[in-house]
Amino acid sequence: MSGRPDPGRRLALAALATLALPAPASAQGSGAFQCRLLSTGGIRPSGVRASGAARWAWEVSRRTSAPTRMVRSVVRADQRALLAEPFALWSGSDAIPPLTGAERRGLERFLRMGGMLVVDDSAPAEGAFSRSVRAELAQVLSEAVPVQLEPNHVLYKSFYIVERPVGRVAGPERIDAIVRGGTAQVLFLQHDLLGALAREPAGGWALDVTPGGARQRQLAIRFAVNITLYLLCSDYKDDQVHAKWILQRRARARR
Amino acid sequence: MSLIDIGWAPDDDLSPLVVLVAALVILGWCALLAVELRRTARARLALAASGALAAVALLAAALRPVEVRERTSRVGPRVLVLVDGSRRLLLPSGAATRRDRALTAARAVVGAWGGARPRVLSFGAGTPAPLSLDGAPRAASELPPESDLAVAIAAMRGDPAERPAAVVVVSDGRLAAPAPEAGEEELRAALRGVDVPIHTVRVLEQSPADASVRRVRAVGAAVAHQRFALEVQVGCVGVDCAAVPVTVRELRAGSEPSVLATGVARASGGSATVQFDVVLERAGVRVVEVALEAPSGDTIPGNDRRLIPFAVARDRLRLLHVAGRPTYDVRALRAWLEADESVDMVAFFILRETGDDPDAEDDELALIPFPVDELFTDHLPGFDAVILQDFDAVEYRLARHLEGLARYVEQGGGLILVGGPSAFAGGGYPGSALERVLPVAVPELEPPYDGVPAAPLVTASGRATPVLRRLLELEGEALAPWPGFNRVGAARPGALVLLEHPTQRVGTEGMPVLALGEARDGRAIALASDATHGLGFGERAAESAGRGHGLLWDGLLGWLMRDPRFEAASVAVVGDCVAGEPARLRVVGAPGLSGEVTLRVERLAPDRAPVERRAVVREGAAVEIDVGALEAGGYTARASVGAAPPARFDFACELGGDAWADSRAAPDLLERMARASGGRSVTAAEAATLPEPAAQRVTAERSVRPLAPPWVWALLAAAALGAHHVVRRRAGLA
Repeated sequence: MSGRPDPGRRLALAALATLALPAPASAQGSGAFQCRLLSTGGIRPSGVRASGAARWAWEVSRRTSAPTRMVRSVVRADQRALLAEPFALWSGSDAIPPLTGAERRGLERFLRMGGMLVVDDSAPAEGAFSRSVRAELAQVLSEAVPVQLEPNHVLYKSFYIVERPVGRVAGPERIDAIVRGGTAQVLFLQHDLLGALAREPAGGWALDVTPGGARQRQLAIRFAVNITLYLLCSDYKDDQVHAKWILQRRARARR
Repeated sequence: MSLIDIGWAPDDDLSPLVVLVAALVILGWCALLAVELRRTARARLALAASGALAAVALLAAALRPVEVRERTSRVGPRVLVLVDGSRRLLLPSGAATRRDRALTAARAVVGAWGGARPRVLSFGAGTPAPLSLDGAPRAASELPPESDLAVAIAAMRGDPAERPAAVVVVSDGRLAAPAPEAGEEELRAALRGVDVPIHTVRVLEQSPADASVRRVRAVGAAVAHQRFALEVQVGCVGVDCAAVPVTVRELRAGSEPSVLATGVARASGGSATVQFDVVLERAGVRVVEVALEAPSGDTIPGNDRRLIPFAVARDRLRLLHVAGRPTYDVRALRAWLEADESVDMVAFFILRETGDDPDAEDDELALIPFPVDELFTDHLPGFDAVILQDFDAVEYRLARHLEGLARYVEQGGGLILVGGPSAFAGGGYPGSALERVLPVAVPELEPPYDGVPAAPLVTASGRATPVLRRLLELEGEALAPWPGFNRVGAARPGALVLLEHPTQRVGTEGMPVLALGEARDGRAIALASDATHGLGFGERAAESAGRGHGLLWDGLLGWLMRDPRFEAASVAVVGDCVAGEPARLRVVGAPGLSGEVTLRVERLAPDRAPVERRAVVREGAAVEIDVGALEAGGYTARASVGAAPPARFDFACELGGDAWADSRAAPDLLERMARASGGRSVTAAEAATLPEPAAQRVTAERSVRPLAPPWVWALLAAAALGAHHVVRRRAGLA
C-alpha cells in the first residue's frame, strides 16, 4: 500500500539521521520525539556528551515504533521555543549559576503545562550539578518536593523490563523525581545517562562505562528508551491489560 | 307552567330563637295544665278546653302568624353525563369502537331525559372537559391514555356551579381510579361527597378475545452495556395462551431490528409475566419493541406489540484507544482521556513495528501482542467509541475487521479516525469498508501526508456548531499553524466540515481537516491531522494555559456520544405520537443558533425514505413542525439548524400504546359504583331506561300577609287567659 511506512524506509531514515540530517516531516508526523538539551546561564551544552542526544533518538527509533527527530537541538530555558515540545534534558557536571528570572519563568511554564525534564548529572560522584539544579528547581516549583520512585514504577517497564536505572556509571539503584498530577515530570539521574550514549564523531562509543561491560551500556540505552516511552505513553504499561504479562515475565527473568 | 302555593308561617321578623322560646313556654303551660287536671275532679273538660285555647291564643300572640303565597315553577333537573374519554375507548368493538358505543349511549340518556338539563363532559386524566355529542371527534393523540373517574368526581365536588341531581357515567369500566380491583372502602372513598345517585352505563359487557402485551417494566435503570431485567406481562382473555412466544428487539436505523431476547409466556389466570435479561449497548434514547406472537382467535392485533423508548444512561464512557505509534499527539490525547473520570479507557499502542530491533529477548520486553482479532470481534460492541490514531490498518491486521468496524458504527458506535502518517490514505483505508461510515472520502493519494505547516480555516459549520464553540471562544478563529495534515478526499454527502485546509483543495472546496458525519445509528469523526497536541502544549498554547486541546476533544467526544451540550438543537414529540394521527415535533435551537431548521424523520427500519420538513427557528425559541401521520414503529428525527451538525432524537409511535394494553371490560365496577351511590347500572342498549330525576321547583314570586293585626292576637290571648282563670276558680283551683 503506497504511503505506508515500511521498516526498510525507517532504518534508512535512521541511518540518515546519524549524519544529522532531519527526516522528512511526512514520514515522522508532527509529534516525533526529539532529545533537546537544555541550556541555562549561557552555558551551551557541548563536548562529547552532546552527541548522546541524537544517539538517544536514534536508539528509540531503531528499537521502537516511536518516530523521532535525530538532530542535535539545544534550547534555552528563557526561550519560548522551550514550549515547542514537552521534553528537555538538562545535563551537566558542575554547579550551575543561578537561574535568571526569565529562565525560571520559562522552566516553570514548561513544567506547569506538562513538560518533562530529565536532569542528568555527568559527574554524579561530585554531585555539584545535581545539588544546584535541585536548589533552583525548588524555587521554580516551590510546592513540589522530589520523591524516590518506587521499584514498580511504570518507568521501569514502559518498554523494557528493567530492574534499576543505569548510565555511564551504575549510580544509585533508585531515582528521585518531582511528581505532579501522578506523573513524574522531573527525573533526577545520577548515572550520566547521556555519557553512556555519547558517540565519537568517527563512530564508536565516546566514553567507557563503569564498572563496565557491553551489558551495562545496553541497559543504559534501554533505560533511555524507557524514559522516552514513559514520556510518550505515560502510565500505559500500568493498564490492567498489561499487568498479567509483565508480572509473568518479571518472574521468569528472576528465575 | 306556574303554580301558586299558599301556606302559613310565623311573622318574618321573629328569629328562630324567639320561636323556640315561645314553643317552650307553651309546652310548660301545657305541663302545668296537665298537673292541674290531676288535682281536681270537677269541670275537667272545661278546664282542659279553656287551657288549650289559652295556650293557642298565647302562641298566636307571640308568633303573630302570617299567610305566605308563593308562585312557583318546575324546571328540568340538572344532570351530569360523564363519558369516558380515554384513548382506550378507540378499541374496536364489533364493527364500531367502544367510543362509538359510549357516545350512542350518552345520546340515548340525553334524549330520554328530555326534561332534564344535561351537562356532558369527557373525563380522562384530569379535569373533565365539555364534550359535544354531535361534534367532530378529537384526534387520538389528544385523548388521554387513561380514565381517572376519581379526579373527575373530585372536580365535580369543587365546582361552585349548580349541583346536579344525578350523575351518569358512561364507560367500559377499565378505570385508572377507582380501579376495577378496588375494594368497597376504596370505592366509597372515591365517591365520597357525592350525595346524588350515580347511574352507570356499561359500554361493554364482555371482554374481547385478546392476547396483549399488558405491561413492560424495566427493573432498575437501563445503563449502557449493563444487563438489566425487563419484566413483560402478557394478558390473555378468551384465547389459548398456554405458550405465547415473546420477542424483545432493539430498532435501529437503516437495518433490521436486533433481537435482544426471546421467551415464552405461559399464562395462567389470564396473565403471565416473563422476565428478560437484556443489554443495550448504546446510551441515549433507544426504541425497544416487545412483541408477542398472537394465538389464534386474537381479535385485537393492535396491542400485540409495544414500542418503548428507553432512556439508556451511561455510567462511564467505554473507550477503545488504539494508536499506531507513540507520539506527542498520542501522549496528549491519552493524558486528556485519563484525566476524565467518566472515561473507562482501554488502550493499545503499537510500540514495536516489525522492522524494529529492540536488541532484547522477548522476556526482557514489557510488550504484549496486539489482540486485534479479539478486540475487533468479541469486545467491540462493549465499547461506546473507538479512536484509531495514526494507525496502519494493513500492517496491524485491522484491515480484515474494517467491515465489522463499519457495522459497529452503523449500529450506534462512535469512531474517531485521527491523522498521522499511517492514517487515512497512509494506513490502508482507501477503498475499505470503513470509508462508507467516514465523513470524508479516502482516495489513494501520494504522498498521503502533507508536512507543510498551515493554519486550518474554520468553516461556516465550524462557527455554527457547539462542538467548536468553546475552543473558538478561547483561541479565536485564527488558529495557530498545524505542522501536518493527512490528505483526504471530499466530505461525504450529509457530512459537515468544521475545519478545512487553507490551500489544499478537493475540487472547488478546501480539503477537510475536521469533519463530522452520521452513519445510520452511529457517528464518525475524521480528524485529518496529528497536530491537536499543539493546542495543549506549545508556544501559542501557553497563552491559554493549554486549555484548547481539552476543549476541542471535549466537543468532539461529546458530539460523538450525543452529549446534549454539543447538539445544535433539542427535539421532542408534542403530546403522544399515535400511529395514523398527525404527529408534531418541537425543535429548540441551541443558544446562539437560529435560522432554517431541516427536520428529517426516518423510520428505524431498513431502507425507508425519510420525511423532510423545513421551518425557521429563532434563537432560544421553539418551533413545532407537523411531520404528518406516521405508521406504528420507531423513528429517528434529525434536526439541523443552519450549518450546524444535526441533532438526533429517537421516538416511537404506537397504535394504542398504554391505553390499549389492557382491553378487558370491567362492568362489575360500574355496577358496584351505582349500587354504592343509590343509582342504577344499565347496559348501553338500556341507557334510555335510566330513571330521570324529579323536576326541581323554583319560586318566582312570594308575598306575606298578616292574618290579623298584633293587637287582635294580644286581645284574643288576654280573653282566653281570663276565661281559663274563671274556669279554674269554678273547678276549685286557687
